[in-house]
Amino acid sequence: MSNAAIPQSEKELMNARLDQARRQLMQSEKLAAIGQLAAGVAHEINNPVGYVYSNLQSLESYLTDLFRLTDAIDSTESLDSLRAIKQSIDYEFVRDDLNDLLAESREGIERVKTIISAMKDFSHIEEEEFKPADIQRGIETTLNVVNNELKYKAQVIREFGELPPVECIISQVNQVVMNLLVNAAHAIDEFGQIHIRTRTDGDNVVIEIEDTGQGISEENLNRIFEPFFTTKPIGKGTGLGLSLSFNIVEKHNGRIDVDSKPGKGTCFRITLPAKQPQTPEAA
Amino acid sequence: MIKIQLVDDEPNILSALRRLLKPQGWEVHTYNTVESALGGLLEHDYAVIVSDYQMPSADGVTYLQFAKQRQPDAMRLVLSAHGDRSSMIKAINQAEVYRFLSKPWDDYEVVASIQSAIDLYRLKLENRQLREEVDTQKAMLRAREQELLRLETENPGITRVHRDTDGSVLIGDHDG
Repeated sequence: MSNAAIPQSEKELMNARLDQARRQLMQSEKLAAIGQLAAGVAHEINNPVGYVYSNLQSLESYLTDLFRLTDAIDSTESLDSLRAIKQSIDYEFVRDDLNDLLAESREGIERVKTIISAMKDFSHIEEEEFKPADIQRGIETTLNVVNNELKYKAQVIREFGELPPVECIISQVNQVVMNLLVNAAHAIDEFGQIHIRTRTDGDNVVIEIEDTGQGISEENLNRIFEPFFTTKPIGKGTGLGLSLSFNIVEKHNGRIDVDSKPGKGTCFRITLPAKQPQTPEAA
Repeated sequence: MIKIQLVDDEPNILSALRRLLKPQGWEVHTYNTVESALGGLLEHDYAVIVSDYQMPSADGVTYLQFAKQRQPDAMRLVLSAHGDRSSMIKAINQAEVYRFLSKPWDDYEVVASIQSAIDLYRLKLENRQLREEVDTQKAMLRAREQELLRLETENPGITRVHRDTDGSVLIGDHDG
């Protein structure tokens, strides 16, 4: 009896270590994914920062002109010389353009704000507990983060059905969606479509991500969830995205299915229970 | 009038650049798709073409390569939020761009780059114009020379003037 107790605790220890290793792997995959996206995100931010910065300098020169006019009010005697200044600074143009300049700059700053908050939402490290969450909002957040990977490769078509709040670790579900979206974009050679569908199925919710890419060949289809299996060129994929997605979905007591027709496209389907079975802490 | 073409899929970038370039007095045309920019190439002769790098239907380097065939004199610049090595190499080797500018840009740098591109463009045009002038003048000279040769063969001595020791012009048949 007593010699059975030692391997038991050893096994627990091993399990705990395995669990920790898996968690670390998941975290590093997430960081690697963010690293791969960094160039795209930089592009998304550099564009608005570029024009907002330039607009500010234009604004400065407009204001210099306008102040030249208002300062002249005190020093000048005749209205005609004021009119001459007003004409020389192209007052009508400046007045019209100021509104556009401000509106466009505001739009740019909003975009930067959206990207930054999406990155923040996305990289939540501490949130490790199951909480009811809005899956569609999570998908929108993820789309903001990967927008630059998608917009030159595909038209994204949302077909969202009504969804109840889903008990899940939303940052992890977002990561699965991100992996599938990036894979979908990589599978498309020229320009295609990516459909994102959500619907309920009894007590479950279903998320479908379907692309019009090159599809997965029969012999690879069995291996896509294997760790380190990748068909992408070196540096493009870690081979961990789908295997970790599989782990995440499993941890949520859900399932992930795939339909693929080589040459036609691939559809990944994630099915998650809206409510986790009792004792969800056994993660 | 110097014409500048700006191509970027982001309309707000185009209006910011328009504002920036307005005081320079150049005619600025903006296009937010590669297709419409191609249309612009058919209608106008540009001194400078500034293109974004990453755009939905075709990348900026491909577009500039096309523009190079259409309007070889136009100076080509890239304004890109992508500063990676491979895109720069492509831009330099394939589209032979004059400058590779990055977003966010420095206003002064953009204006100065376009200005010096215009100077080069003018220099190219002037150079060609001068060469054409030289060519027409050379052709005129050659025609005159040939005419002289013809006269000389038909009437030997007709192209020369004979003088005596005082410098007086001698008229007559010297062969006799």
